[in-house]
Formats: sequence, C-alpha cells, structure tokens
Amino acid sequence: MGPLQEWIDEGAADAAPALRVLWITPMRALAGDTHYSMTRAVQGLGIPWTVGIRTGDTPTAERARQDRRMPSALVTTPESISLMLSKADAREKLSGLHAVIVDEWHELLGNKRGVQTELALARLRKWNPRLRTWGLSATLGNIDEALDRLLGGGPGRVVKGVSDKRVVIETLIPPEYERLPWAGYLGLHMLEHVVAALDGSPSTLVFTNVRSQAELWYQAILEARPEWAGIIGLHHGSLDADVRRWVEKGLKDGSLKAVVATSSLDLGVDFSPVERVLQIGSPKGVARLLQRAGRSGHAPGQVSRVTCVPSHAMEFVEAAAARRAAMAGKIESRHPVEHPLDLLTQHLVTIALGEGFDEAEMKTEVKSARAYRDLTDAQWDWALDFISRGGDSLKAYPEYHKAQRDEDVRYRVLDGAIARRHRMAIGTIVSDASMDVRYLSGKRLGNVEESFIAHLSPGDNFVFAGHVLSLIRIENMTAYVRAAKPGSAAVPRWGGGRSPLSNLLAESVRESLQEWLEGRAREPELAVVDRMLKLQHKWSRVPRAGEVLVEQAETREGHHIFIFPFEGRHVHVGLSALLAHRLARTRPVTFSMAFNDYGFELLSRERFDLLPLLKSGLFSTENLFADVLESLNAAELSKRQFREIARVAGLVFQGFPGQPKTNRQVQATSGLIYEVFARWDAGNPLLGQAEREVMERELEFSRLATGLARMNRSAIVIRQVPKPTPFGFPLMVSRFREKLTTEKLAERVRRMQVEFDEASSDTMQAGIQMDLLP
Amino acid sequence: MIEHTVAGERLLMLPEKALFWRDAMTLFVADFHLGKAAAFRAAGIPLPPGTTTDNVERLAAAVEKTSAERVVFLGDFFHAKAGRTEKTVARFAKWRDENWEIGLVLVRGNHDDHAGDPPPEWRFTCLDEGIKLGPFFAAHVPHKRAGGYVLAGHIHPAVSLKGKDDAMNLPCFWFGRDVGVLPAFGAFTGSAVVRPQKGDGVFVVADGSVMPVTGK
Repeated sequence: MGPLQEWIDEGAADAAPALRVLWITPMRALAGDTHYSMTRAVQGLGIPWTVGIRTGDTPTAERARQDRRMPSALVTTPESISLMLSKADAREKLSGLHAVIVDEWHELLGNKRGVQTELALARLRKWNPRLRTWGLSATLGNIDEALDRLLGGGPGRVVKGVSDKRVVIETLIPPEYERLPWAGYLGLHMLEHVVAALDGSPSTLVFTNVRSQAELWYQAILEARPEWAGIIGLHHGSLDADVRRWVEKGLKDGSLKAVVATSSLDLGVDFSPVERVLQIGSPKGVARLLQRAGRSGHAPGQVSRVTCVPSHAMEFVEAAAARRAAMAGKIESRHPVEHPLDLLTQHLVTIALGEGFDEAEMKTEVKSARAYRDLTDAQWDWALDFISRGGDSLKAYPEYHKAQRDEDVRYRVLDGAIARRHRMAIGTIVSDASMDVRYLSGKRLGNVEESFIAHLSPGDNFVFAGHVLSLIRIENMTAYVRAAKPGSAAVPRWGGGRSPLSNLLAESVRESLQEWLEGRAREPELAVVDRMLKLQHKWSRVPRAGEVLVEQAETREGHHIFIFPFEGRHVHVGLSALLAHRLARTRPVTFSMAFNDYGFELLSRERFDLLPLLKSGLFSTENLFADVLESLNAAELSKRQFREIARVAGLVFQGFPGQPKTNRQVQATSGLIYEVFARWDAGNPLLGQAEREVMERELEFSRLATGLARMNRSAIVIRQVPKPTPFGFPLMVSRFREKLTTEKLAERVRRMQVEFDEASSDTMQAGIQMDLLP
Repeated sequence: MIEHTVAGERLLMLPEKALFWRDAMTLFVADFHLGKAAAFRAAGIPLPPGTTTDNVERLAAAVEKTSAERVVFLGDFFHAKAGRTEKTVARFAKWRDENWEIGLVLVRGNHDDHAGDPPPEWRFTCLDEGIKLGPFFAAHVPHKRAGGYVLAGHIHPAVSLKGKDDAMNLPCFWFGRDVGVLPAFGAFTGSAVVRPQKGDGVFVVADGSVMPVTGK
C-alpha cells in the first residue's frame, strides 16, 4: 500500500506513473497468475495504474512497448531484472522504484538465483536508499537469515500470517502388503490403488519426484483408464509452454480430473478445485511435503490433504518419519550460497554492459549484498582481472577485451558480439544441452536432453509429453517425431531433481527404526514394513541408535561392502568417496560406488578385511577436509560441478537452435575447459569454487563431518551376509554409480572392451553422428 | 610403439596423437587447431596460457622421434581467424625456423576455410581436395574415396570403453575398411564418441601410450 499512498500524496492521480513496484517471482508460470491478481486489484481500486509482465516468455514487441513506457507495476524474474540492468538506461527505468516484492523467497534463497537477486537489490538500493523490500516466504527453519539476506543487513521484521490451516499427511497402504518391493523408484505396482484414489476425488494433483517418473505414471494411468483421455494432464518443466498453460488452466477451472506433475507445480499458483494431493515416492523433506500438501484445499477453511504413495518398503518408514517431523513442527532450513565468484564475474559484466562501473563504487555496492560481505580484496581483484584482462594481470592478452576501461575509467563492454552472447547467457540456471521435440508438422512438444536423443536411432520409440513417439530424424538441434503405437519405448532420463533425504527427515527415520526395535512403533506404515525389517534383522541387523551397520557380501559381480549411516544421499556420496579413497590408498583398486538415502556400497574385485582398517582409522575425522577434497577429485565430482560455474562465469556458451555459425568456434564443453584450467591454471579460483560447491552443496560437508563423527562414536557392527539383505539389495541394483580408482590407466584399459557394431556394407559413416560433432 | 598395417603399409601410431608412415618418412597430424584458446580469449573467455606451447612441443617431439621429412596436416590447422594472435604465430614460427628443411602440407579443412592458410613464410603446400600419397589419400573429412585408403581427421574420434566395474571414453585412432581417422592433435580439443564396426582397428591414446582395444 505504501507506494500507492505515496502516489496519491503526489496528487497526480489521473495518470499512470512509470515503474513504482517490482514483483519478483521465481517461476514464469507464477508470473501470469500474479499479473492477473494485480490487474484485478488495480481495476478494483479504480486507479489508472498499469501492470506489466516481463519474463523470458514475454514477446519482443511487448518488451519494446515497456521500454518506451514502463508500466507502474512489473512482474518479473531475477534473470529478467539482470537483463534490464545490462541496458544503458537501467538507472532511468528503475531508480523510480518505491518497492520491490520478492515472492517465494525461500525458493531463491538456497541457490545462486538468490544471490543474483541480492546483487540486483543492492543496485536498486544504491539508486534509491529508501526502497522498501518485501519478501514472501513459506515456513523455513532459518527465517531470520532469510530476512537478513533479503534486506542486505538493513532493518526489517518478520510478519507471520495467522494460519489455522489443517494438514493431513497419510500413506496409501495397499490391502495386501506381504510382498513389498525392496527397491525401485517408480512405484507402478501401486497403480491400481492410485487409480482408485483418483476415482474417489474430483480433482487430484499427483506429484512425482522426477520427470521420467511423471511421464511413466501418466502413461500408466491412461492405460488403466483409457476413458480419462482428455481429462487428465501432465506437467513438467520440459514441456512446451502452451501445454503447460493448458494444464494450469484445466486445474484452475476444475476441468481436469487429475494432473501428474513434478516440482514444476510446487509453487504458488492457486488451484482451488484441487481436493487431494498424492505424492509418489518419498517427498525427501518435510518442507517439500507440506508445500505440496498446500496445493490442495486451498480455499479458506478446507483441509490440505496429502497422501504418500511409497514406491518401495523403506519409503513407508520415510512417510511415517515425515509426518512425525511435520507434526512436531520441524522444518528444514535453506542455506544461502556464500560469495560465488562465477556469479560475481557475470554480474560485473552485466553492469559493465549497462551503464558501466567505477571500481571503488562497485566494490562497495557488491559488498553490501550479504552474500559478498566477506569477499576478500584478493577475490575482488581476481574477478576484476578476470573480466578485464583475462585472468592473471601479469599475463595480459591483447586479444582479450571483455570489459575495458573507458576515458572516465569506468569499466564497460564495448564489443557487440560479447554483449550479445552475455545477454543470452545471463542467469544461473544450468540445463543440459537440449533439443526441441517437434512433430513433422512443426508443432512443438517441448525439449529433451541431447544426450538422450543421441542414444536413439531413427525409428526408435520414446515416451514424451504424454505420448509414445517415434523418432524420424534430427535436424538443426530438433528431433522430429511422429505419434507411435503404444508399446515398448524408452523414457528420457533427465538430470537433476533427485533431492536427498533432508537431515531432519534422516534423523526422524533413524528414530522410527529405533522405535521399531524397541517394539514401540505405532504408525501404520511401520506395520507395513514389519516383515521386511524382521527379515533384515534376521539376516543381518537393523542398527540401533549408536550403531553403524556394515555388511559384506560376495556375488558374481565381486566383493560388496555396504555401510548404512542413514544420513541422506548427499552425505553418502561423500562418505563413499572418502572411504573408497582411504581403502584405495592401501593398494591399487577400482571401486564402483552406489548410494541412496540409507547407505552406500563399495564394489571391488578384491576383498577387504575391514576390521584392521577400521582400527587404523577408516572412519577417522582427522585430515577430513583434505581427504574428502582428494577423494572427490579422484571421483571427478568437482569436474561435474564445474559445469554450472563455467556456464555462470561465461566460460561456456550454450548454443541455441538456429544460431549463427560463428559461435561454434568458441564453444567447448565445460569438461574440456575444466581440463584446460586444471592442467594449465590449477590455482584458478573458479576451480576452487567448484571444489567448495561440491563440498558444501553436493556433499554437505558439515553434515558429512557430523555424520562421520557420529559413526566414529558408534559401535560398528560388521555382518558377513550370504546374499544381499533388504537394506543392501537396493544399492546393489542401483544403476547410478560412481567410480574411484587408483589403478593405472593402462591396466584399466586392458580390462575393458569396445562394443563394435555389426559390420555393414556401408562405410564408417554409420558410426558417426554428424550432428553431434565437436 | 604400436604399428598397424593398412593397404600393405606399416603405420606407426605415436602417443603424441600423430601417425607415422615410416617408408615415406611422412608424419600425419589431424586437427591441430592452433590458436584455439586465443580465439576463445578474443571472445571474452579467459583461458590460461599453455595449449599452444603444448601443441608445438608435441609436434616437435613427434618429428624428432621419427625424423620425419614431411608433415601432412589433415585439416583444421588454425582454429579461427581471431586466434591468429602475435604470440601464437610466433610460437609456431620459432619451430618452423628451427626445422626449415621439413616439408609441410596442409589439406584444408572446414576451419581453414575461414581461419585462412598458414603465413606464406612458413612454406606450406596448401591443398583443397586432398592428396594421393602412394596407396593413401590424405583428406580432412573421412569420406570413402575411389583413389585410395583415406587418412583423415575432422571428427576427433573417441571410443567408449566398458568393463565390469569401469567405463571411460578415450581418444582413438580408428581404422575402418576404407578410411582411417586420426585423433585430434590439438591440446584444447574435444572428442566425439564413434561406434566402430567389427573388423575395424581401434587404438586408444591414454597415459602417454597407444593401446589396442578389444571388442565384443
């Protein structure tokens, strides 16, 4: 209301003022909804304010119209604000702002988009020190930190909404649960019960954790109920915007009976008709489960109801643990990113592209963002060198001129090609190289990862956008398809989206197991898994509080070591690399590693006698940081993390369909760039950042250290098991594996083979995919 | 060092990623991509120094080791026009001055078309169509030819190796029935995984050596 009151006080009440209010939303899908609500509010008040929207989806003509005259209020995303800051007239357009509202701040807080928002706010505050900032957030474990970040340390307070919203968390328990699967993430054996649940509710949202799972569930439901064609929908981030809008509309007006979705529908948009939410597989966190529950019973007075549909036995325990934690009022924190240097270099170029900057002023401004308050002079100098002299200023390159100082010694970008490329690459969201999927008619269905398409040959079928499709040909980064008959078809495996069990939930799971051991478990979910847990206890053991279970087994594949700390997937990735690394120091060996939320597996050709190794400090917390760092480099984890950094820092440029050919000469994969840096500039701070990010974000180092300390204090129970146990089996069949080796490359090559194609009369062209050449 | 016999001639594969035809004292090098890092720098991507030196030093080592009298570059000698910077050019020129007696041939590739030929004082023989050398035909793109067994580059071949508990992609020499492809020589080059056919000869370059791979 503040900006409105000020506008009335100014007395110019018959004309729309130029930009006064900025509404930042994390999702484009939310922007439309917010725009609609704001427009209605403005009309209701009978004032001449204009409301606009500006996201990556906004047509160029509309953007040009806004550039001529900014609307009074603008709904936008962090990326679009950065883009506006990259224009020379940014100050003129944005310095008249009175208020900024950041919606769903909790969604931005834990990633680099949050830092991007902090940097933009720092700039807007410099232009208008009296700028008001509002943040809207779901419940968070660290709400005070969220506030501090948003305000850049300035004064503010937390306003809590009064909520008497009742949330019911329950689990779909099949009537016959004697033979629960021990592993798997799809959960399709629950289909019949899920379909029955859909039958009983007029409008249901079915959440899955990953896109491939959503595709398969959508197919399966349609197969079970063909008459639902047209009244059930599919929604995930890779689908074409038109498809997504159609589904969102159907949910709002109640015309869709059910929608299978991923986190793409987690946020914001009000779908009042939705009465029930199903969660296929574990929600992995309390906050996420509550957020998804909140998508139902949206109208005041109604109950939000979420039903967990576990996809395997242990997920019943997780469902019970999630409810227990939620009822106890526990909720996860989101940890902000600290001074990411890749984003700093990106932002500096963005501002240099806009009005340019003076070094001292810019440094003060950047440090006023909480994320960079601890930025050292050395880091600042490096970032400035990186964008102006190409790295170490002692090795200046005349050909490097990204940002240059003009006569006023302000840093500016003068090269048009660099400017264009930078604007296209602004942002921190990294996706795998993807291809458009279109029918031969040209109608676009969405996009899938290039690496998936690369494994298909023309004529192969795959499931996408709720259809079974047949690949016809690949042309100009587009996969042309036609509808195919249902039958066996591949499903794209998209990267990302696999969240680990939160530490809160992990702890709650350990408590549930302890209660079961003590015979105190009362939750219905624990009764379901009673048989499985008894089997586990009989063959091996269900670890008590204060115990860590280690199982060793021998199969045709080799020698397996299973360890079950129950600390969540990320911590297990780190722990498995660390232990493999420590074991591999004793002799040359190659480990294949698998992990899930309960434990991890080390598979090798030789057997290890663990007892003496444990005594000599296998779980020791000494030298932990250095050991983990070494092990993650051995497992090439930081190389993978570098992908995001390379993209954000502008080292790799993601091509676009139909781009001019000239860009191809400066395209390289982040893996290649990483190798060049690692070999010829090992001290580059961006490599250090990759290591830090793996440590903090991928492995959750502090959790890992706590977990290892707990293991160190625990009694280690080693069991030799004749065959994989209910706990061990899911790890053994896991297809997502990492590798760590201390064997010589030549030795490894000797043991591997190439899969040759059948000889054909054709030349070797068959073996070359021309579209994917470097 | 490993030899492979093609068209009755013995070819020696060097871990420097070059191929030596001993009977003709000829060294083949594909996809040199000189000045690629510099081209990236010109586009605002600050890559560290070292790749050009590595390129030239490896070429020097291969020439020295084999006493080659002639080097045939199978296309993509320079990466891009923007990469022909003073430092890069000077680095190669120094080697050329010290090895003035060696014959240099460039079969132009797609990059050469816009990056331009080597400076005239380096005395390269530049060819558009490739060249027949004994039983071989030196080309950039690995297309089958009537004129002889094709030796080419362009695709930066790598193979995907798989074992029970291990997997990796490694750059390779790939000899098919009618065409042989060399790995990319350039220090800052990627690779593309190819799928050889049964009967092809495939040799990976790893850890400073060339190794044959077996298939299934």
